[in-house]
Amino acid sequence: MKKTVNNLMNQEAELIKLARAGDRSAQTELVKTHSARIYNLGLRIMRNEEDAEDVLQETFIIMLGKLDQFSGKSSLYTWLYRIATNIALQKLREKKKLDAEISVHEPNFEALRGSQLKEWPDHLEDKVNDEQFRHCLAVAMEDLPENYRAVFVLRDLENLSTKEAASVLSISEANVKVRLMRARLFLRDKLANHLKCVGDMR
Amino acid sequence: MTHQHDDTMIKKIEDQLGSDFDAEIVAEVAEHMRDCPDCKIYVDSVKQTIKLFRVTETDTSVPEDVSDRLFKMLKLK
Ligand SMILES: [Zn+2]
Repeated sequence: MKKTVNNLMNQEAELIKLARAGDRSAQTELVKTHSARIYNLGLRIMRNEEDAEDVLQETFIIMLGKLDQFSGKSSLYTWLYRIATNIALQKLREKKKLDAEISVHEPNFEALRGSQLKEWPDHLEDKVNDEQFRHCLAVAMEDLPENYRAVFVLRDLENLSTKEAASVLSISEANVKVRLMRARLFLRDKLANHLKCVGDMR
Repeated sequence: MTHQHDDTMIKKIEDQLGSDFDAEIVAEVAEHMRDCPDCKIYVDSVKQTIKLFRVTETDTSVPEDVSDRLFKMLKLK
């Protein structure tokens, strides 16, 4: 197993070398290998297809332009994640400036210290085909402020480790943990509110 | 949490809520949750939240037209 991973890494290192030298089929291969991952990352952070496509295009323009700056210390996908996440966060911040009149209320992260608790129903996953419930999930993600959203996406949806997410976002591991905790609690509270509203859950 | 927790336990639980529940579960927190239904309910609801998003945010492949525009823009293929 380990051998296979090493082989893949060597293969990629070889492709990177060729791509740097201007080999177009190597460049194509690198883009092909990583484009789905970056597109999904873009969708998850941006929450719409048009912006995800922009993130995708800009990420690979930068990759091809700066491949000679890639040190090889981290893996290529972590490096691409860093580029793509930065582009996405930049876009979200620009958008926020444009829709400045829409106020983003600060989330209340204090639920741990005193909210009433009710056990959630089992098998909530069955509920995900319910349109109203899906909408609630989508709105919760859109409401989650971008710094927290990026951490949640990288850690819980893209399965990066704390260390990898810290490297992608250029923040400390402790900071990743705090943001992840807050993101999870924010989303949890949104769902808790929704489940209460729906009423027929229990 | 309607009952009282001391700050060090809250800190530990918060820390756990920012980590992997399976791979990085701290023994002390696990033990606390066995004796504290409130914390167990709370942590379980957070786990359920994560699971729900993982179920709905499935991977999609890059649509063909998006891929075409990408390679065209990069002047590849
Ligand atoms: Zn407790």
